[in-house]
Amino acid sequence: MLFHEIYGSYYRAAAAILGEAVRGNLTGRELQSLVREHAFGESLMTIPDGLKGERWRLMHRDLSTPLENEPSMPLTELEKRWMKALLLDPRIRLFDPDMTGLEDVEPLFTPDMIVYYDRYSDGDDCRDPEYVARFRTILQALRENRDLYVHFESGRNTQPKLVVTPYYLEYSEKDDRFRLVAAGWKRRWTINLSRIIECAFAYESRTSRLPSAETTAVTFDLEDRRNALERVLLHFSHLEKETMRLDESRYRVTLKYDRRDEPEMVIRILSFGSAIRVTEPERFIGLIRERIEKQMRLAAFSPDKAD
Amino acid sequence: MAYSELIKSFGRIRVYLRSFYVYGFRHRDEFTEKSARSYDNERRRIESWLGDHMAFRQDADGRRVFLSVDSRAIPENPLYRAFRAKSFTDRDIMLHFHILDLLKVTGGLSVTGMMDELSDRLSEFDTDEMPDESTVRKKLREYAALGILKTEKRDRETFYTLGDDRTDISSWDAAAAFFSEAAPLGVIGSYIQDRLPEKFGQFRFKHHYILNALDSEVLCGLFSAIGEGRQLILSFHGQRRTALPLKVFIGTQSGRQYLLTWSPVRDRFSFLRTDRIDGMEDGGEPECPADLAARTEDFLSHVWGVTGNNSRRLDHIAMTVFAGEGEEHVVRRLNREKRCGAVVRIDDTHWRFSADVYDACEMLPWLRTFTGRISCLECTDKRVIARFRGDFDALARMYGGKSDAVP
Repeated sequence: MLFHEIYGSYYRAAAAILGEAVRGNLTGRELQSLVREHAFGESLMTIPDGLKGERWRLMHRDLSTPLENEPSMPLTELEKRWMKALLLDPRIRLFDPDMTGLEDVEPLFTPDMIVYYDRYSDGDDCRDPEYVARFRTILQALRENRDLYVHFESGRNTQPKLVVTPYYLEYSEKDDRFRLVAAGWKRRWTINLSRIIECAFAYESRTSRLPSAETTAVTFDLEDRRNALERVLLHFSHLEKETMRLDESRYRVTLKYDRRDEPEMVIRILSFGSAIRVTEPERFIGLIRERIEKQMRLAAFSPDKAD
Repeated sequence: MAYSELIKSFGRIRVYLRSFYVYGFRHRDEFTEKSARSYDNERRRIESWLGDHMAFRQDADGRRVFLSVDSRAIPENPLYRAFRAKSFTDRDIMLHFHILDLLKVTGGLSVTGMMDELSDRLSEFDTDEMPDESTVRKKLREYAALGILKTEKRDRETFYTLGDDRTDISSWDAAAAFFSEAAPLGVIGSYIQDRLPEKFGQFRFKHHYILNALDSEVLCGLFSAIGEGRQLILSFHGQRRTALPLKVFIGTQSGRQYLLTWSPVRDRFSFLRTDRIDGMEDGGEPECPADLAARTEDFLSHVWGVTGNNSRRLDHIAMTVFAGEGEEHVVRRLNREKRCGAVVRIDDTHWRFSADVYDACEMLPWLRTFTGRISCLECTDKRVIARFRGDFDALARMYGGKSDAVP
């Protein structure tokens, strides 16, 4: 059962509070702080009352508890089955998790039950031992806050060698690729892991600050025909956005995106055809117009031109 | 009933979360499915769970509430918080902590033993009301079914002990952080992360559709039925369909998930959106033809995405694109983005993609992404070409160009 109170924030907050009470460290202020940390915005109105009184009978008013051990709960069958399912995923090779206790567990799902139907086919090769070794070096550097020496092939056919401070590993579900987001030489680097030739811990760590990604916005009007409203809003739902209704069937949408993703944004917007009309910025409109004009010129020498 | 930030079932809140997250332009009076009071309660709950991601705008028609999340900037899906809001009774939480603690202290208890220990424990409190034996037995059985407890026979009595917990979950910290976002039913991974003293927070996710999390309960039921080869009676939008679930199709660009089913009555493969499924019942074991797996693979080799069915005729479609010197990325795009069919080089600057699919209309969005490079487009279904051409003409007019430019 996926939606169950044992996984809930109230139980989690209560476990943290009761753990402190068992250790004899609990104060009223600590109790409130644990509720804020583990539960929701209005939980302070219910959890302390439930715990400190006769309702839940887990703690006395003096904040002592009859429990003898700090609360803990064994893994549920559902959790074990999910973990077992991951052991069948090729990407698990990137990690080295303990498999003890999962031997006789049925996986919750198997890879043949799932199709990522629109995922690109040239994703990272998680079966390559060298790729796995590089991934694990980066993971360790992230854990230990260590700088990395990286030698990689850039998109411009150069092979930079530099020392960077790693910040994140970014995974794209569509591309099925990992990218290292790092700082160095006063700039932000996004390096495809599959393009890294060599990677090792740097001799010393200087911890460069990560400059923010340059974000920009595009605004378009959307005509809701053939369910375009839902298709467009779902398609772009992973971006920060704002939608306004203009009239019965027209909407204005503003999307924020990373400036470096502009070519991708242009083709994504083009994929919706005339259901979307970009209204600003002018630069973006120019990029769309350029493609349309190129298409018009191309049509002129098409051997199979209809009509 | 007094307001609570906890909920009994997930169905209704799923609708509101979806609306606040995907649409975000609706005002209070546009939520007509339930009463205004229901709207106020659901909005207040969502604000309580996800306050840091809620945004508000005041316009001429009133106040709009929406969820604004750049899923690339955060390490974990905030919508998982909604799964942590299941309501419970005072007795549920009381029994939970006392039972687990008493089993740890004693190493195992029968129901009678548990009643005695609970009686001792609870006598410390002013309220002398004891849970009855059947309630305690029911809770122990429930926890055994969840896998938290194990049962064993000692003499004639059933004893309950804590479940096996030999896995070192600290070694799962990075894997749990990654797969919580990148594998189906990731909410379970987020539960596992809750058990860790510290979460690994250095993954980020691009093109990440967090909304699919809301279908987790449905997906769990579907995987179970697929694994067991059971038919399901699926309810969606007031309709019912009996079918054998075969595979779950996850969109990494559309933000949608679908179920591929086979209907024994009509001998037909078809797709159904998982977010539309609002109920399922066991439909028994169907009689399947021996070659169903092979036929499924054959059907899928002619499906571009998630539309079409095997009662239609196949459409042949071909698109030739231009890629000049230094534009090899266009050819790479064709090869990595095609989901079926083949790409062949025609001459130094032209490549031709072709495929036979059940519904070529579904390919139109992808074909449009090559606008500016298409030198020839053909399809046996002439409506596909007409739609492509008509739409391009409209686009050209929209941006101030001339129409009639599609080959």
